[in-house]
Amino acid sequence: MKIAITGGKGGTGKSTVATALAVELSKKNKVLLLDADVDCPNDHIILNIKRKKIKEVYQPIPKFDFNKCKKCGRCAEVCREHAIVFIKDKYPILIPEQCIGCSACMIACPNNAIDKDKKKIGTIYSGNRKNLNLLSAETEIGVEEESPVVNALKDHIKNKEEYDFILIDTSPGTHCNVISALQGCELAFCVTEPTPLGAHDLKLTLDLLKKLKVPAKIILNRADIGNKNLIKELAKEYKIEIIAEIPYSKKILKLYSKGKPIENENIKKTAEKINKFKKK
Amino acid sequence: MKRITILSGKGGTGKTTLSSNLAILLSKNKKIIVADCDSDAPNLGLALGIQEKDFPSWKKVQTNEKAVFDKEKCNSCKKCLEVCNFGAIKWDNKKNKPVFNNFLCEGCGSCMLICPNKAINLIKVNNGKISFVKTKYNFSLVSGQLKIGSTGSGKVVGLIKEKAEKLAKKEKAEIILVDSAAGVGCPVIASIQGSDFIVAVTEPTPSALHDLKRALRTVEHFRIPYGIIINKYDLNKKFSKKIEKFMEKYNIPLLGKIPYNKKFVRALVNLTPIVVYDKEFEPLFKKIIEKINKEIKK
Repeated sequence: MKIAITGGKGGTGKSTVATALAVELSKKNKVLLLDADVDCPNDHIILNIKRKKIKEVYQPIPKFDFNKCKKCGRCAEVCREHAIVFIKDKYPILIPEQCIGCSACMIACPNNAIDKDKKKIGTIYSGNRKNLNLLSAETEIGVEEESPVVNALKDHIKNKEEYDFILIDTSPGTHCNVISALQGCELAFCVTEPTPLGAHDLKLTLDLLKKLKVPAKIILNRADIGNKNLIKELAKEYKIEIIAEIPYSKKILKLYSKGKPIENENIKKTAEKINKFKKK
Repeated sequence: MKRITILSGKGGTGKTTLSSNLAILLSKNKKIIVADCDSDAPNLGLALGIQEKDFPSWKKVQTNEKAVFDKEKCNSCKKCLEVCNFGAIKWDNKKNKPVFNNFLCEGCGSCMLICPNKAINLIKVNNGKISFVKTKYNFSLVSGQLKIGSTGSGKVVGLIKEKAEKLAKKEKAEIILVDSAAGVGCPVIASIQGSDFIVAVTEPTPSALHDLKRALRTVEHFRIPYGIIINKYDLNKKFSKKIEKFMEKYNIPLLGKIPYNKKFVRALVNLTPIVVYDKEFEPLFKKIIEKINKEIKK
């Protein structure tokens, strides 16, 4: 079963909850944790796992063959990312940072003057802690198009059937790499906090999950500081269950700031509930 | 005019809290424009007590295109399927026709270019909205919102900044203050491009430091000067020292240290920045502004 841990606002505790649940669930199940926060993956830090690099992720970029180029400018015309600059009677210039690897220029070139080169956009790592497996991916600095890295990470899962649970920890926000992470999940836990900001971003996430047709449940973190009603009202409006409330605790913060996964009663109870979702 | 951008890498370290408080204090002495460039999940308005409905008029923006498909013209050659690098085209074996996944389509036009039967076209789509509002404090706030399920957050950020630039010119502003998204991806890159100074906010946790370093590498990529603020520094003083050592080693200016205090959450719940909610915090943020001013003048 594929479960996403998401939530909209940053810093509400996605990774804390994802790692804690993964540790708890892996006591009785075969669990794979996928750190799809490719911008800033942290699960390995919290779990104190030394990751091993297992694969590099590339995207195609164009390489001009100036022997064949007739300086027609068609490549720059079709590039919607403005990654190719063309000045009349000059050879085209590529701005590699802008290129998202779509290959439109290669298709459009009438003289077959553009070859496929590649640019490294990310790295996939693996590691484990007892019987919990972790796959984690990280983008190269300055890469704008991150979805292919998330997709490569998801494609990398071998023997999906072997796992009782695949937990996918997403980036904050609602943009493309979050969408890529959420696609195909059977359930999503939205981790939020009882503040107006938490509620606002939770609403955006719930709207996104509705569009993607992924059922959602809410995990309310730091439940006792702020205004719980903000989240309760939203849960009622969307008819979504708040599956767990985790109170604010200095102990959790201390463990977190030391880079350790949390273990407590709330997480245990939540894990028990999740165990019931497991497909028989 | 100076463009200052608030950045963090990790989410929830306090970008929006910092932005709202700095904005209020900065605007007491200078004309400023504030831009909420976290178009995925814009919160700066809320932190200032402004709700979505308080913006006078939202302008729909179209920065993206999507492939649309005419099945009458399709001869099932599958070339579109082979060419799509974003996994946005799947094949329906029963109908022997392509199926387009709008959530994954980047609107690059490769499928349209390769289709021998001109069965694919691109159409412009609304992928966001932007607006601005005069706040009850002494500045205008420009905000934007990516349409749920849309791609192109970086381009929406670009439009928010364009609007902020226009307003700044009109109002003869001295500073544009930009609050960016979490992470280091396209909305963040769009936020920091063209900035004169970056204020990076972090907290004393291994995750935050890891993410901060990634964010700083992105900043260095664009060769923009920066300084760091350690938020909630007293949650783990030992780790805060570790961050300060890292900063000393690389000669990074420390712009300030903010203690953890539950009043920050209370202020947030009351939709009032803490420098207004509790005057006791004003000197702390004033000091940060002094440090930033000093760095910018260098």
